Amino acid sequence: MKLSAVQVDAMQELGNIGAAHAATTLSQMLSSTVEMSVPKIKVVDVAQLADYIGDEPAALVVFELQGEIPHGGYIIVYISRKSAVRLTNTMLGLTDPDRPLNEMDESALLEVGNIMASAFLDATAELLGFIMLPSPPALTIDMAHAAMQSLIAQMQEEIDEVMLFSTELVCEEHRIDSDIIMMPEASMLKTFVERLENLMNPS
Amino acid sequence: MSEPAPQDKAPVMIGIGEYNVGSGPMMTIGLGSCIGLTVYDRDLHIGAMVHIMLPESSGRMDRPGKYADTAVPLLISKLAERGSQRTSLVVKMAGGACMFEYFGNNLNIGERNAERIRAILAEHHLRLSAEEVGGKAGRTVAFYPDAGGKVTVRSADGAAHEI
Repeated sequence: MKLSAVQVDAMQELGNIGAAHAATTLSQMLSSTVEMSVPKIKVVDVAQLADYIGDEPAALVVFELQGEIPHGGYIIVYISRKSAVRLTNTMLGLTDPDRPLNEMDESALLEVGNIMASAFLDATAELLGFIMLPSPPALTIDMAHAAMQSLIAQMQEEIDEVMLFSTELVCEEHRIDSDIIMMPEASMLKTFVERLENLMNPS
Repeated sequence: MSEPAPQDKAPVMIGIGEYNVGSGPMMTIGLGSCIGLTVYDRDLHIGAMVHIMLPESSGRMDRPGKYADTAVPLLISKLAERGSQRTSLVVKMAGGACMFEYFGNNLNIGERNAERIRAILAEHHLRLSAEEVGGKAGRTVAFYPDAGGKVTVRSADGAAHEI
């Protein structure tokens, strides 16, 4: 699905609202300032996925978008492994930046991801006026490309391109860099665009 | 596709659904449920590698490297064009992990990819001389036709090892 310039603007605004709410929750959890980038929309051919996401280790907290559309795609909280350690260190009051991640970290990362994704979805669903629920979260700490590739392979609609809506959230004080990424199925994207157009041009 | 290259050349990166034929190094990075399949000709010292994403093409012809059922014959025919005999081919594969059990419902795509590849190879009277598939972890696979067809596999925090 190709988006017009107006649709891109609308989707960017949707991402902006969702990411702003996610950034607020992250900021509260870290008791520190979190800056967010302008949301980016990338249309990526699967053959070029590696140009965007490499095989570096990262923590990914993944949710399937559920609700009125049962398989709407995915929402992903992406944190490089180094940032993930600094994030859980901050939350758990630890200091060693080079320690391996353990079960306690995994619980903390799942919780952070859950709160951020829920905030993102609550805000966007409220704006659009339909129900979007996150599935229970799944966490992987592994090659980022491998995780994204696995999600793309199990999307409902077979595709050669994916559309990624990503916003970077950065906490400079604790040197934590994360991305909140939405990867909608084509059916979900169509619904987003229709709802946004209705909002802009109420009949 | 690439021409024979010196051994110190950077590997050709093979994206999802792509393939490469030649003698220089080639690589598929970050395989989750995808599979990196390599076919090496031990007489001609050339090889082919493909990055397979799904088991079935269901009639789609535009990206033959993306599906197990079309990718296997693709590599065999590309090597045959360069003079390879079926009896000289050494086949290996790695990948096919299941990273997200929760979303798996009943589709373990990694496992289905591996099964489909084995079945199609059998139809072509070829068998795997090495494989490292399944598990939960991602893999990066490198293939060196000009170094005796060596295949190495690396996980997120492990060193590369040969299969």
